[in-house]
Amino acid sequence: MSTSAIATPGGSRRSRRRTPAGEAHRLLPGPLLAIITVGLCVLVLVPILYIVLASLNTDVGVAEGEFWPSSFSGESYTKIWTTAGLSTGILNSLLVCGLVAVASALLGTVTAYVLVRYTFVGRVTILRGLVGLQSIPGTLMLLPVFVLFSSAGTYFGVTVIGTRWGLFVAYLTFALPFSTWVMVTYLRGLPRELEEAGRVDGASTLTILFRIIVPLSLPAIVVSGIFAFLLGWNDVLFASVLTRPETQTAAVALQIFGTTQEGGALPVYSQMMAAALVCAAPVVLLYLLFQRYLVGGLTAGGVK
Amino acid sequence: MGSRTLRAVVALAGATALTVALGACGGDDDGGGSGGGKTLNVLIGANTQYPQEQQDWQKSVSDKFKAQTGADVKWETFASANDELTKIQTSVVSGTGPDVYAIGTTLTPTAYSTRAFVTLGDEEWQKLGGKDKFVPSSLGISGPDAENQIGVPWVGRPFVMVYNTEMLKAAGIAKPATTWDELTQHAKQLTKGDQYGLAVAYKDNFDPWKFIWGMSVQAGNPIVDGKTARIADPAVSKAYQTYFGWLTKDKVVDPAAVGWTNSQAVAAFAKGKTGYFALTSALAAKSLDAGAVKGKWAFTLLPTVPPGATTRPANGVEAASILSGDNLLVADYSKNQDLAFQFVKLITDQEAQLDIYAKLGQLPANAAAAQTLLSDPRLGPVVEAQKKSVATPFTGAWADIQLALTNAVVQSIPDLSSGSISDAQIDSRLAAAQKTAQSSLDRAK
Amino acid sequence: MTDDRTTTRTAGDAPVATAAGRDPAGREPPADRAGRRRRGVTERQRPLWLLIPGGTLMTLVIGIPLLLAFYISLIDLDQYTLRRWLEAPFIGLDNFAEAFESGLLHSVWISVSFSVIATVATVPLGVAAAVVTQNAYRGRGWVRAVFLIPYVLPSFVVASVWRTMLQPDGIVNATLTRAGVDGGLWLSGPRSYWTLILVEIWAAWPFIYLMALAGLQSVDSEVHEASAIDGADWWPKLRRVILPYVRGPVLLACLLATLNHINNFTLPYVLFGAPAPDDVNVMPMLVYVTSFQSLRFGLSAAMAVVSLVLIAIPLFVYLRAVRLDVHEEGGRK
Repeated sequence: MSTSAIATPGGSRRSRRRTPAGEAHRLLPGPLLAIITVGLCVLVLVPILYIVLASLNTDVGVAEGEFWPSSFSGESYTKIWTTAGLSTGILNSLLVCGLVAVASALLGTVTAYVLVRYTFVGRVTILRGLVGLQSIPGTLMLLPVFVLFSSAGTYFGVTVIGTRWGLFVAYLTFALPFSTWVMVTYLRGLPRELEEAGRVDGASTLTILFRIIVPLSLPAIVVSGIFAFLLGWNDVLFASVLTRPETQTAAVALQIFGTTQEGGALPVYSQMMAAALVCAAPVVLLYLLFQRYLVGGLTAGGVK
Repeated sequence: MGSRTLRAVVALAGATALTVALGACGGDDDGGGSGGGKTLNVLIGANTQYPQEQQDWQKSVSDKFKAQTGADVKWETFASANDELTKIQTSVVSGTGPDVYAIGTTLTPTAYSTRAFVTLGDEEWQKLGGKDKFVPSSLGISGPDAENQIGVPWVGRPFVMVYNTEMLKAAGIAKPATTWDELTQHAKQLTKGDQYGLAVAYKDNFDPWKFIWGMSVQAGNPIVDGKTARIADPAVSKAYQTYFGWLTKDKVVDPAAVGWTNSQAVAAFAKGKTGYFALTSALAAKSLDAGAVKGKWAFTLLPTVPPGATTRPANGVEAASILSGDNLLVADYSKNQDLAFQFVKLITDQEAQLDIYAKLGQLPANAAAAQTLLSDPRLGPVVEAQKKSVATPFTGAWADIQLALTNAVVQSIPDLSSGSISDAQIDSRLAAAQKTAQSSLDRAK
Repeated sequence: MTDDRTTTRTAGDAPVATAAGRDPAGREPPADRAGRRRRGVTERQRPLWLLIPGGTLMTLVIGIPLLLAFYISLIDLDQYTLRRWLEAPFIGLDNFAEAFESGLLHSVWISVSFSVIATVATVPLGVAAAVVTQNAYRGRGWVRAVFLIPYVLPSFVVASVWRTMLQPDGIVNATLTRAGVDGGLWLSGPRSYWTLILVEIWAAWPFIYLMALAGLQSVDSEVHEASAIDGADWWPKLRRVILPYVRGPVLLACLLATLNHINNFTLPYVLFGAPAPDDVNVMPMLVYVTSFQSLRFGLSAAMAVVSLVLIAIPLFVYLRAVRLDVHEEGGRK
């Protein structure tokens, strides 16, 4: 990036920079901005375009390496509902991940609030642990988590395996470190004076949290919620052993669909791509909906 | 960032709460087991090729079982052999899970080694209608010996070869190949222009070892000899040389095949430009009829004479296919074992077996049902292949051994692609596989 | 390089709080420190019980299984002992010894190098993307949405799509052939390593982008105006004034992204299948295959523990260095 940038002649830019207001905020000269933007969009969109075109093609057409379908058809989109069992999967995913998003964001806020505002022994260890927990490989945890969950059934008579809430508990916990971390970085930037007033009025910690902190932290809460949502949405490893057909998530349904081609079936590329797009759609929508807050929520001290 | 955010968040939370409530209701139904009747959990492989048909079949079996016993059947499915193995392991370790498992033949030894399944004594076989009910060869991988069987044969999926009848005719080949050398010879004749003689899925995670095992066993090397692995062996070496040679020396396979999985090889053959497609099953019929090759293909047995020979050596086995299909296993932790055996009996009876063939194309393991299929000329070779199927070694180490055999192919793919692989390279990979296999056998109990 | 002092000054003055406390704690204004001491009284009633729900969950669902995993790494747990796993023989460190003999270090090396390369490569992409979407223009919303797409697609989908495109007779090679280049093998052999990196970059750069964008948001208007008055050209301004704000968030993003790359199982598994080519036999693949295909749970747990320790050491060194105990920066302007 740097070499090409330096090589750009500077004359015209100098005069433009002098123009008032927003121009002062301009970070890049126009042509460079355009080049980078277009470059990145192409990088992203070419594979996406391929997915879209393939989903509108026939399975055979994709197998033959066509980029542009010789005949367009929406057939794959109708087929997948019976072949891939996506509707149950998407419903389950929305349900479990939606709840995980809300719960982990709130729990993360509460935990982060205590970690940011109070000092106590072990606080720093917890903070480090939050980052450290991200380094535990899922493949290591799979069997032990399963053993633990199933022993809840053996010893307490509570069925966890195969239920939605079992999956919910697992995802909530895995999402919690990062959710908390996002909240920690955000809450650090919140001026303390805002709560101080409430404290003088004698409000309880919980009141302060939900009346003052939560409304002020919505952008960050949205961010940590979305990350938690995505974690559950993308997981295949745990969902594949913790669910049964009725409680299967979209990712598992998709994987089952994609891998069950042993024994003489044709590759189902087109349906696969259609199913992938259908599964990705809710998440993309979610992002578009919350995009504005997403960025602000990652910024410490987003309230200015 | 005032009210709009808030509204969005509230809306999201509200929607979530609503769905959760809905889900909770659904969840109660799941767990309840309903009406005081018992529920039997059954794990079978998912079939994406015939999804609707599979559901129909499941429903008809459930209805029948309900009528017969008053109990419900709850189905679970697995996607692939890996998934299946994971399900077995997690159930075994926790002592909870399905009551009845439909387990692939090659995984049956693994399941046996966990000792978590009911051993079938005379009493159990009696409940099922006796051993005579089944095609004799299909019992070959039910247990290490006749006294210690755990698997009830359910369906067969013997491997066969499929060929393009028109291409063979055009090349003046009267009869499909019956020896591997003949197959190579035919494939050379058939390869010209945009045609290839043979379709092979080199990148499949399961196909490669089936070739290697077949060729070796035909040459008299069963790969596992008691507690000894025999992978670093001339017969195995020759098998790999032949298998790789189709691509590198004989050049009868599309070079893109180094990236093919089995389904891609099916697709390639279905285009009608390939003479033979080695290693497929009766299930491919639907796919083939969907392609350009429709009406121009036929099944035949895989060669049974090892590479480099015109007749099988005295100690060679006439293995047309690995013994392939599913066995039904009853979990020993199951609290519904009686029910489980009634279920197993139901789906191995003639009627249900013909039904599953009709709906899903799976070959019956029930002898009477299999007999009725012999009249279908197209299926003849498949039924014959089932009879001539040979069980892979019954050891808990087998999963590891087949992984090692496949791994030797995976690691050789770059060499295949570059057009040559030396015998020395093959042998060094086999030495590594031998080591893994032997250490796994040493651990076997 | 002559203006180095300016750089540090600007960076130091910036409220870079997203950074894992990158901002030196020493710069905390004295007034604030006094304030904290004053609050000592109220801290008696610290609502530490609020940590209980989160703490319980993490202990139950992460802590206990992790301990269990450590225990499994010390016993001979395989298919033969799985059913009565509590009675599986205790074999001490034998699993660890065997792990080191069976290609563990090779996998660790592949994992670490792949992750670091992927992270390093995503940084310029992410930062550039953040810079170009910082200033408003028509259609910016769409561009931002486009940039996020790779990140929201499930790994499984990303891997399936790329696998389809990169197979020997797939669309990538077809295009290359048309351009007169022999594409060769993407999913086998030495090049598979770079394939893994490229696909990971494609899927992961938006994370860096998001964090960089967050950093850019914290640049005050006055900073822009000040540098405009200074007459700074765009490149020096970007490098000395703007980018230092981005440094903190991006460093944290790098750390998290590297950890994510190291533990990414789905991508290599779906791209290459199991058994994987030796060149992409990353830790999660090795652990998965050992555990769920070879059924050597003890051995695979030992492998995973080793990799965990290998990752954790540099991680904790880093975490110590960045002073997470920075109590608050919020009071500062």
